[in-house]
Amino acid sequence: MTTISHEDVEDLCTGSVFLATGGGGDPYISQLLVTEALKQYGPVDLLPLAELPDDALVVAIGEVGAPSISLEQLPVGSECLTVIDRFEAFTGRSITHLVSFEVGGANSVIPLMAAAARGLPMLDGDGMARALPEAQMMTFAIEGVSPGPAVAVDYTGACVYFDVTDTTLYERQIRALAMTMGGMVFTAEHPMSSEQARRAVIPGTISFALALGRLLREQAGNATLIEAHLSTLFAQSDYGVFKHLYTGKVVDIQRKTVGGFDVGEAVLESTVGNRSTLRLTIKNEFLLARIGEKIVASVPDLITMVDHETSAPINAERLHYGQRVTVFGIGCPPHYRTEAALRVVAPRAFGFDCDYVPLEEL
Amino acid sequence: MRIGIDVGGTHTDAVLLDQHTVLASTKALTSANVKDGVLDALDRVLQDSGIAHCALSAVMIGTTQFTNAVIERRELTPTAIIRVALPSGAMIPPMLDWPDDIAAAVGRHVYMVHGGQTYDGFPIAPLDEQEIDAAIEDIAAKGIDRIAISAVFSPSDPAQEIAVGERVLARLPDARLTLSHKIGGMGLLERENAAILNTSLLTLADNVISAFGEALREREIDCPLYISQNDGTLMSAEFAAEFPALTFSSGPTNSLRGASVLTQLSDAVVVDIGGTTSDIGVLQGGFPRQSNVAIRVGGVRTNFRMPDIQAIGLGGGSLVSDAGETLGPQSVGYRLLTEGLVFGGDTLTATDIAVAAGATGIGDAARVAGLDSAVVEAALARIHAIIDAGIDQMKSSREPVPVVLVGGGAVLVSRSLGTASELHRPKNAGVANAIGAANAQIGREIEQIVSYRTTPREQVLSQLQQQLTAALLQAGAAPDTLRIADIEETAISYMAEESTRLRVKLVGDLDLSQGRSGAGKTAPGPAQVGDQA
Repeated sequence: MTTISHEDVEDLCTGSVFLATGGGGDPYISQLLVTEALKQYGPVDLLPLAELPDDALVVAIGEVGAPSISLEQLPVGSECLTVIDRFEAFTGRSITHLVSFEVGGANSVIPLMAAAARGLPMLDGDGMARALPEAQMMTFAIEGVSPGPAVAVDYTGACVYFDVTDTTLYERQIRALAMTMGGMVFTAEHPMSSEQARRAVIPGTISFALALGRLLREQAGNATLIEAHLSTLFAQSDYGVFKHLYTGKVVDIQRKTVGGFDVGEAVLESTVGNRSTLRLTIKNEFLLARIGEKIVASVPDLITMVDHETSAPINAERLHYGQRVTVFGIGCPPHYRTEAALRVVAPRAFGFDCDYVPLEEL
Repeated sequence: MRIGIDVGGTHTDAVLLDQHTVLASTKALTSANVKDGVLDALDRVLQDSGIAHCALSAVMIGTTQFTNAVIERRELTPTAIIRVALPSGAMIPPMLDWPDDIAAAVGRHVYMVHGGQTYDGFPIAPLDEQEIDAAIEDIAAKGIDRIAISAVFSPSDPAQEIAVGERVLARLPDARLTLSHKIGGMGLLERENAAILNTSLLTLADNVISAFGEALREREIDCPLYISQNDGTLMSAEFAAEFPALTFSSGPTNSLRGASVLTQLSDAVVVDIGGTTSDIGVLQGGFPRQSNVAIRVGGVRTNFRMPDIQAIGLGGGSLVSDAGETLGPQSVGYRLLTEGLVFGGDTLTATDIAVAAGATGIGDAARVAGLDSAVVEAALARIHAIIDAGIDQMKSSREPVPVVLVGGGAVLVSRSLGTASELHRPKNAGVANAIGAANAQIGREIEQIVSYRTTPREQVLSQLQQQLTAALLQAGAAPDTLRIADIEETAISYMAEESTRLRVKLVGDLDLSQGRSGAGKTAPGPAQVGDQA
């Protein structure tokens, strides 16, 4: 079994920003908190899914709300401990393992804080293998795990208990609640038995993000040079496919806010050869990539953009005219390729009039 | 008539301007005693121009003294920070991520008390007077009298920072404070860091600003003194003594502003070609386009807005290799004057190429007469391609833009550039910083999270504009020159559609016909925006 120490946090955050495909928010505050927690309590055990005992109670914990608000109103830092205490008090059951909602963005590291303080192991896996905006898009929900009993706490320690079985309904409720509780709440939700967790958790994603972050640090430099290293790393994982989609320059970027989402389109002009433009459709994350009229990558496959010179992943909020970038397409793990999964994570689930075509067939 | 002075780490430059015309300029080394350097600069421009000191209507000074103090960790005063935020942020105390050396210079005198409010104005916790008093007593017992105060969402409602500040002054009447809402926008850690740095610089600021004033008094210059701030506008000397941190990026800002004054262009790309790199910045509406990433000053994260500047590895000393196909990023740097071919050295540099092509007469052209013309041609093409690509990356649309070339390496560009609609090479570019300092615009900005659902957009804008107008008029702006320089709106994702981070900047021209009071007296200070909210 591997452990995660305070020295790993920065690499893990770098990897998680890469896997956040343009969304996920700035993980800086979480990085500070988790680093301090791991310094204070020591490293956390990262348990491979295959080693999960039969009598486990796995609970997903993380934050729900507006990441930009928490840059001003910081978390207390103890919310994820409170949420575990309240969950156990309400349900009368003891949590044995923690798991992350999504490896993309700040939620990749938040369970580490609670795991460190409570001496609990964290599962090496998550519910998205990337970042996506809503709770019903997690593999936990797709595999039929009920979101409730769930508990949400705010900065005052105030607590709300959810007895709900439908994740789409839960998503609406928790989103509205977060807005009245300072813009951000921490939740313990989607409790799973060992049998459920083995089906619903995408394995290996936390250790993968750590390896990815380490690679990005060690190989820092031009995207053309780093590509072969990335390709090898992804090929050896459940992501499987790794493709260079485009290298070019941002020539147009449009954004507006619809229903709490950043919606927009970025247009890239090729700087290598004479190709048609690449158009990226954004809804918090990069969801569709088209060259000319042809779709070259689509959600739930990952579309990641990096600065061409430094290979630093670029957040959709920070895109601007003139940036030289390289866009990669990465296959999603098999969990997202089932019929049940595609109903909630394929392009049509985001309101786009097109079907998902796996990256390797494009 | 006005004098602009740039007090940098190595040089003190000065210009005497009549409107946009440079009547005299000087470049001298910065003295260990700031006042002597300023006196020297004043004497030279007055002597060279023959202008009488009584004809001056204002003196403007830009300085990197405060930036340098932070970077070199010197002359910082021990400072306490009281953060009003508990229970939020309990495990992320102030200065948590500061480099140890600067934290030691300022001291980790960190206090956290209950209070602050949520994004929609709900109290996080009530203020606890006993808790605040205990913090103040502890600070007093340590003998500290420099105190920064931060509170959650204070840019939207500063009342708690003001209340805690008043309590501190009631106990420690001689204390000097920085309330965070007066120095930064959204982002608690970054704004708090800025407030702490600012507070620790107050003693140095008193010394530097009063040295400027003394210099003016000694030469019987009887006009207001202004200091240039980060965004390129001016603040009164009195205000600068309270907010020295607002000068952190005035160096690069003044350089861009100077290029604007010299060319009378308000929208252009400015390329400053030095010995090793070229710095490319963008003028929008006469002001530098600002970067939107967190800026570290001396290793401390702040949310000061710095000019968005891209450095590319091409300058006059760049090495030429691969038969002219590769230039830089390696450079002989300041050794160009001994190592370049035309200066008698044996290294082929970008400057040698420019001389060989007949673009400039510097050095000994005979020493490059034998260069292969194919190599010269290839290198020239490469130089222009590199600069073209750098400009293209910075300009904000596909259309060609006016380009201003400044710096010693500007001679490298001898042909047209595809990205440039026109090329400008202003005279006096060597003192662009001092010229930029001598601008006559004064500005203030305000940033808040607002909800257009609660208050319609027009109403929010007009409220903020009123606050800013009052502040600018008090600071000496002419009423009929006020204009909104920038409105930036950023929607907050995962929140209701109308939740928006709104930043408004108002600028106006200084009314130079007023304020001719006592010798070296400071101009009237601007209103404290937060007090009116």
